[in-house]
Amino acid sequence: MPRRRFLRMLLCIAAGITAATALAQREAPEASVKAAFLYKFANYIEWPANAFAAPSAPLVIGVAGSDEVATELERIAPGRNVNGHPVSVKRLREGESPRGTHLLFIGRENAAAAAMLRAARDNAVLAITESERGLEMGSAINFVTAGDRVAFEVSLEAAEKTGHRISSRMLAVARRVVPKAS
Amino acid sequence: MIASIRQSLRRKVLLLVLASTVAALALSALGLVIYDLRAYERQWTNDLNTQAELLARTSAAALSFGDRETATRDLGVLKVRPRVTEAAIYTREGELFSTYTKAGTARANFPQRPEADGYRIEGDDLLIFRRVVEGSEPIGTIYLRAYYRPWDRLFDYLGILGAVMIASLGVAALLSGWLQRAVTQPILDVSRVARQVIDHHDYSLRAAKNTDDEIGELVDSFNAMLAEAGRRADALREADRRKDEFLATLAHELRNPLAPLRNSLEILRMPEANEAMRDKARQMMERQVAQMVRLVDDLLDVSRITTGKLGIRKSLLEVQAVVRDALETIRPYVESRNHQLEVQMPSQPLTVEGDRTRLAQVFANLVHNAAKYTDPGGYITLSLAAEGDEAVVRVRDNGIGLAPESIGAIFDMFVQVDRSLERQQAGLGVGLTLSRQLVGLHNGTITAKSEGVGKGSEFTVRLPLAGATLPEPKAQAPRPRAGQRRRILLADDNADFASSLAAVLSARGHEVRVARDGAEALAAAAAFNPDFAFLDIGMPKVHGYEVARRLRELPATAECVLVAVTGWGHEDDRNRAREAGFDRHLVKPVDAADIDTILESY
Repeated sequence: MPRRRFLRMLLCIAAGITAATALAQREAPEASVKAAFLYKFANYIEWPANAFAAPSAPLVIGVAGSDEVATELERIAPGRNVNGHPVSVKRLREGESPRGTHLLFIGRENAAAAAMLRAARDNAVLAITESERGLEMGSAINFVTAGDRVAFEVSLEAAEKTGHRISSRMLAVARRVVPKAS
Repeated sequence: MIASIRQSLRRKVLLLVLASTVAALALSALGLVIYDLRAYERQWTNDLNTQAELLARTSAAALSFGDRETATRDLGVLKVRPRVTEAAIYTREGELFSTYTKAGTARANFPQRPEADGYRIEGDDLLIFRRVVEGSEPIGTIYLRAYYRPWDRLFDYLGILGAVMIASLGVAALLSGWLQRAVTQPILDVSRVARQVIDHHDYSLRAAKNTDDEIGELVDSFNAMLAEAGRRADALREADRRKDEFLATLAHELRNPLAPLRNSLEILRMPEANEAMRDKARQMMERQVAQMVRLVDDLLDVSRITTGKLGIRKSLLEVQAVVRDALETIRPYVESRNHQLEVQMPSQPLTVEGDRTRLAQVFANLVHNAAKYTDPGGYITLSLAAEGDEAVVRVRDNGIGLAPESIGAIFDMFVQVDRSLERQQAGLGVGLTLSRQLVGLHNGTITAKSEGVGKGSEFTVRLPLAGATLPEPKAQAPRPRAGQRRRILLADDNADFASSLAAVLSARGHEVRVARDGAEALAAAAAFNPDFAFLDIGMPKVHGYEVARRLRELPATAECVLVAVTGWGHEDDRNRAREAGFDRHLVKPVDAADIDTILESY
């Protein structure tokens, strides 16, 4: 069956290419994993009704206090989209309002993390942190490190405050889930 | 024999039912199996596809975020699907990310690389590959391996089919037993009754009817046939009995005249007998011979009736003339019994189409019966009348009459009303049978009626009147000179008959030659040059037809009047005689009067 053989050949080539990429990613620093996660989170989040002006409006990921992550995101974002929304990245300076973004990543280097979190909550932006007490500070998703792996925990309470819902499939992967305020 | 029939019928019914059952079951099972195997494959692949799809959705996040434990946990739900032996999740790059192996499976056999979406069958296993998609991006592949053993399923089916088949055959055997009782048992009953009837000649036996279906119809028909066969057997016995009686009567009747004949011969031989005694003896002989001739004529008619060769020659007749003919022959007998005979006939002629001799025979027979079955000194009337378009002849007497139950039978052959009466002129019992046949041949009817025994009887003959009236009698041809001397050749191998007839004819002044066979007849004819030749047909050496043909060829005898003499008066004989060149035809026994008639007509 030449058709099937052709398909297999094609598959092999594709697999070879992706394997090569994976090799590069495995050795990638923590920042690039976090950048990839940030982008993937968008797939499991149900946005508030007014989050996007149009079905093809861009999904904006704000990054504050982590140039590495911002750089990684900017590298992988072009050409990608989530449910029809092209992904774009916006670097935020310290104190800058997160208005206009959909996700806000607050890096460890950010000194005014608490203020940023408040601003995010006020602007109905889902906040993501990478500090040990991130969830307690009010972020919805917080990166943690489990052994040599990057993992995350989720606060449904915080997500609910900003009008977001997080897919149970993502929760199944989370290290820890803070339930909604009863 | 019945046992073997029962066996074979039962076996056939059983075979039929079993064969149809097995065929129906096998066909339906085959159809079911084919359908089921196809449905099984479709259903199982759909099922596994659904499972794979669910797993793909569930494990997308785990794969996406590189969480192997969660992915393994997700795959763990497959333990509730015992037919799934192994499963795996591959990353987008085609590396094994997470695996599941059913407990107890000896060796996991994960493909090195995931394949394209879809399923394939590999040996006893069904393999499913399904892409894991996040958003619209493929991020990996789900792989499932499950048992796929259609043969197991087929064997399960065959087992079920076997069980069903055995149960069905049991039911079929029961059904065939029932069928046997319902169908073959009545047939066997009919057969048994038929056998009994044949063995015991008991036509009163009947087969029992239990159903109103085709079998019941068969039983009814069979019983009706038995009844008919019984009636026929009775009729045959009755006919046989009558024939025996007839033969006894015939022997008696033929024997009766012989004693007076012998006595008369003794008288004639006695030298001391005077002329008066001789004359009386001759008269007695004439009467007795006439009686015997009548008997033998009746016998011949009986033979013609039984062989269906009783024929008539029709012409237009005046019924009055026929009645007068009949009375002429019968009056002496009526007078001998001292009966008073009254005849009533209309003056205007009634015309029918018929055979004058035969109709006269019918009327004479009726008057004869009336005279016979009425004690001497009785009163007999014969009346002729036109009723509608029929000529009706009634013969009434005040004699012994008829019992109501015997009226229907008196027209049957050999039936005589009163056999117990030792009447001198008993007769043969064929007169009324013959009469009915003859009247039937004239498209007429004959009926009898009587007030009862001792109250006389009345016979009625109805004949259709002919539309045309009798043509005016032609001017009488000049009568030949009586006493003219003729040259006559008689050819017959019966020497007594020929010589006695020759003596009579010679005594009347004719010149007669006798020949004893065909060759002699030809020789005599050539030398004698006869005016008339009476030729027996059944002669030795050259038969009568041949003689006639040769005589016609000879110039000397070409104009000779040829008369055929045969024992049978069938139409065939007459035609053949005509073709051979005969002018006339006589039926034996021929007497001088017949010959006189012919001689006078030329």
